[in-house]
Amino acid sequence: MQRDWADICGGLALAAIGAGAAGWAAVHYDMGALRRMGPGAFPVVLGSTLFLLGLFVALPAFARTDTAPKFEAKAALGVLGAILIFALGLPWLGLAGATATAVLVATLPAPRQGWVWRIVLAVAVTALTLLVFNLGLRMTLPVWPRMP
Amino acid sequence: MTTWEGLLFGIGFVTQPEVLVYCFLGVVLGTFVGVLPGIGAMAAISLLLPITYYVTPEAALIMLAGVYYGAQYGGAVSSILLRLPGTPQSAVTTLDGYPMAQNGRAGVALFTAMVSSFTGSVIGIVVLVLLAGWLSRAATAFGAADYAAMMILGLVAASTIGTARPAKGFAMVTLGLLLGCVGTDVNSGAQRFTFGQTELLDGINLVALAMGMFGVAEVIANVRNPARQGVMEKIGLKRLMPRRDDLRRMALPTLRGGALGSFFGALPGTGSTLSSFLSYSMERRIARQPERFGTGAVEGVAGPEAANNSAAITAFAPTLTLGIPGDPIMALMLGALVIHGIQPGPMMLEARPEMFWGLVASFGIGNLLLLVLNLPLIGIWVAMLRIPFNYLYPAILVFLCLGVYSVRGLTFDIVAVAGIGLAGYLLALARFSPALLLLGFVLGPLIETNLRRAFLISRGDPMVFLERPIAAGFVIATVALLLLPLWQAWRRRARASD
Repeated sequence: MQRDWADICGGLALAAIGAGAAGWAAVHYDMGALRRMGPGAFPVVLGSTLFLLGLFVALPAFARTDTAPKFEAKAALGVLGAILIFALGLPWLGLAGATATAVLVATLPAPRQGWVWRIVLAVAVTALTLLVFNLGLRMTLPVWPRMP
Repeated sequence: MTTWEGLLFGIGFVTQPEVLVYCFLGVVLGTFVGVLPGIGAMAAISLLLPITYYVTPEAALIMLAGVYYGAQYGGAVSSILLRLPGTPQSAVTTLDGYPMAQNGRAGVALFTAMVSSFTGSVIGIVVLVLLAGWLSRAATAFGAADYAAMMILGLVAASTIGTARPAKGFAMVTLGLLLGCVGTDVNSGAQRFTFGQTELLDGINLVALAMGMFGVAEVIANVRNPARQGVMEKIGLKRLMPRRDDLRRMALPTLRGGALGSFFGALPGTGSTLSSFLSYSMERRIARQPERFGTGAVEGVAGPEAANNSAAITAFAPTLTLGIPGDPIMALMLGALVIHGIQPGPMMLEARPEMFWGLVASFGIGNLLLLVLNLPLIGIWVAMLRIPFNYLYPAILVFLCLGVYSVRGLTFDIVAVAGIGLAGYLLALARFSPALLLLGFVLGPLIETNLRRAFLISRGDPMVFLERPIAAGFVIATVALLLLPLWQAWRRRARASD
């Protein structure tokens, strides 16, 4: 047991976002009057509210203990890495290359060991993707890696 | 159009092959994701949002709705066999469904869940039809102030009812409202929080937000889950057959659950998850032998399963007739319609009869499909439970990326999904509800527009919210809901100091 870090960090982060949004909106957008609200009015009210709510979540949490949630760093890295590689690789690797790479990266944090199943899965998912999105839905995307 | 004409018209619309296929696709996909623990209806509907760009709005809504109630049928399967709720709506079903499976009565528990779900849906359909007509007529008297007050009530209700820390719920709703401000302001044309990014001019893409918050975040949370264990016996048709005693026990709880669910489903903020919990506690309270609950009582499966299905259906009444979603799943449904440029409102029943009556008819046909398909095919769904998540999530991720890319053809959106996914995972980890964020996001522009209009009409006089009887009623209910947690905390403290 330790301090309730989830609520402390979460609350403070939200308070910071709220304060930032309210400040930015107050400086950059027209507030208008209640009779004719400008584009700044709603964000300023919301940002200030979020700031107060964030503090309201964070401050009492300093006096409380809770089990800290477990951050699955490997899982997050694998999954997010796969998505980013897919997004950035799509123009270079083509649909087939990006899919296969993304699947391989995504399986890195999986609990099952070994490489054979990972490669088989990559080939299978790539085939399925080409079948559905290229032949089925006729999405116009380069399929194969671009030759230099 | 009278009710009967409407129903016949709807049945005629849904039985067209090009509509029926989406209804079928929706319920089958829904059952599939419902069976898989970890991936819920929210994630599945988010993943399918891009498809709505390619089909008619009616077909899109019918399919997404099918995913929703299909997932509730599927959710019961993993609740009963694995004691892992496939969806939050079927979490209560684990309490008596899993003990039944341990006692060798898994088949009967599944049969009960399916038949009660179906009966609950039928009750929900009847209530939806009555309620929608009444709401449409009542809503013609609604002004901007009334709409704004009602939406705020909905947000407050969703973040206070059934949550441990209402402050965290409010914070999520407020963050969602704030994210809804991003983009070009419809009232003044000003660009807000775009920071010079042209990709953000239309606001944050609902598809990217929903996919990141639910799809990606749920995949991350489940990647390293250990293999599932549970009752994995072969379940043939014979094992499904209940005893006469079971049928007698499940009849009344099913009807009560259906009635209770259809009431709470239509209220803002109380959706089908809460209905199933309420139904369970009600059945236990009025049972002659409450000690049987938790050890495999049929009533404990029948009531909640009927309640969650009827609530899922009546929730469409305020969404379609007022344009106000009562819970986050309805917010996604509304979002799908807004993608097509359709803003539901009191004129919906008259102006787009295919939409309303088609959806009503699709509920009937979809539930019938689920009943006749799932009872004989239960073995297939049980086999699905054996597929490790290892083999599924890489494909889910690739389809998710391509889905969000297909909407605008921008890789920016895929990168955004990764960022939103990380944020969603962190939020869920710290027990902040991403679903409430989404509800705020969808309602944000509607609330702002109506608030501004209300103040414009009243020349800046805030009394408009108390002078109009409808708005005043919503304001009073909102204040009561806000005071409730404070009062509870005060009472707890008073009791503790005694």
